[in-house]
Amino acid sequence: MPIKKEVCSTGIDELDLKMDGGIPLGSTVLVTGCSGSGKTTLCMQFLFNGARKGERGVFFTITEPLFKLTKNLEGFAFYDKKLIESGMVNIIDLRIISERLGLDTEKYTVEDAGALLDILKDIADELDVKRLVMDSITALCYRLQTREMIRDFIFKLGTSLAVMNCTTLLTSEVPPRTFKFSQYEIEEFISDGILFLGDVERKGDLIRTLQVIKMRGCAHTRTKFALNISAQRGIELLPLLKTTEFESLLKR
Amino acid sequence: MADAIIEGIRERVAAAIRVNNSVGIQVPEARHEDLLEAVFSSMCKNTQDSWTFVSVSKTFDYLTKVFKEGAQFANIRFIDCISRAAGITDLYKNCIYIESPVMLEKLILEILHNFKGIKKDAEKYIVIDSLSALMIYNDPEIIREFISLLLNRSRSENIHVISILVEEEMDSNKIIQLNDKIIVLRDSFID
Repeated sequence: MPIKKEVCSTGIDELDLKMDGGIPLGSTVLVTGCSGSGKTTLCMQFLFNGARKGERGVFFTITEPLFKLTKNLEGFAFYDKKLIESGMVNIIDLRIISERLGLDTEKYTVEDAGALLDILKDIADELDVKRLVMDSITALCYRLQTREMIRDFIFKLGTSLAVMNCTTLLTSEVPPRTFKFSQYEIEEFISDGILFLGDVERKGDLIRTLQVIKMRGCAHTRTKFALNISAQRGIELLPLLKTTEFESLLKR
Repeated sequence: MADAIIEGIRERVAAAIRVNNSVGIQVPEARHEDLLEAVFSSMCKNTQDSWTFVSVSKTFDYLTKVFKEGAQFANIRFIDCISRAAGITDLYKNCIYIESPVMLEKLILEILHNFKGIKKDAEKYIVIDSLSALMIYNDPEIIREFISLLLNRSRSENIHVISILVEEEMDSNKIIQLNDKIIVLRDSFID
């Protein structure tokens, strides 16, 4: 009898279905996309859906102030203020933590990166989180001076969180209309999975898309889906009408 | 006479959709509004059934003015694909607005969502008005793919689809062939 692998359900039914039930437990997944592609919404929905199942989560923001972030969330049905108040969903401004640690420099040294890694692990451990989001890993990598430091940081972060059975999403910012998964082209090799959020142009309108590029340890589809962000239902997916792809290729 | 003809169309469409999962109706532009009246009459009479009316040819605002009664029934839900694209800002709460008629995947998601939570024993219907209007904004190939996907999903969820095609738009002829049954309404027949 085959052993049922443990997965972390995103709570987005169609996405879980494409990944054979969810993200393999303890994986580090890169959520890649340009500005406005739905990265933050997807990550937040992942955290709130987990919290409803009793899995505590933490969201580290580097790119957006807390008040803006929560204000944007208020429109979504998946958002529940009580889950934040009860500590099931924790939203932390990483810039404030960095400042308190004296890490507010433009570029981190190896020691700085080590100190930051330690504090992230300590927070995850203390809160006993099962879901962690870093928004964005690109902004963090900007402060790490070399590709080796980036590789080392992501590898160590992912490994220590995996030991805690914590599933991690790292958002990665890429320019629009590029089939590129990260800014420094190293993040994708360390990650266990890549969810690529893009868009296709159809008659002047942009259709959001999602594609599971890689997901180690699970049989997943690589089909491109149209992604819709609904205030009521959050992220939802439907197979992208293929003619759109054909049109885009012709234009290229 | 006009009422009798509209009633005749209503009965003909009702009979066809009872035994087929999907029905395409080809209509001359001059009689388009008569057909809509027949469809609205059907929707209002069968309040135990659940209807989603997708409008691509007329704004919801216009439909509420012309078919006052139909726009008020709780069993009828409207999806308006053109008001926002046309820059109309006066939007109603009891209608779902799609940003643009090219957002076809979003349209399918909204249609399917409309039927969630509907009683199992209720008959479910989608009316698309019209395939010809969708083709003003989209290429024929993508509309063909769209209608094929919609018909497959609706068959699996036991939802009946009525799609209207305005006769003058001959390009959309191939698409209407995807339906189980085709009704061709003629100008002379209606008069």
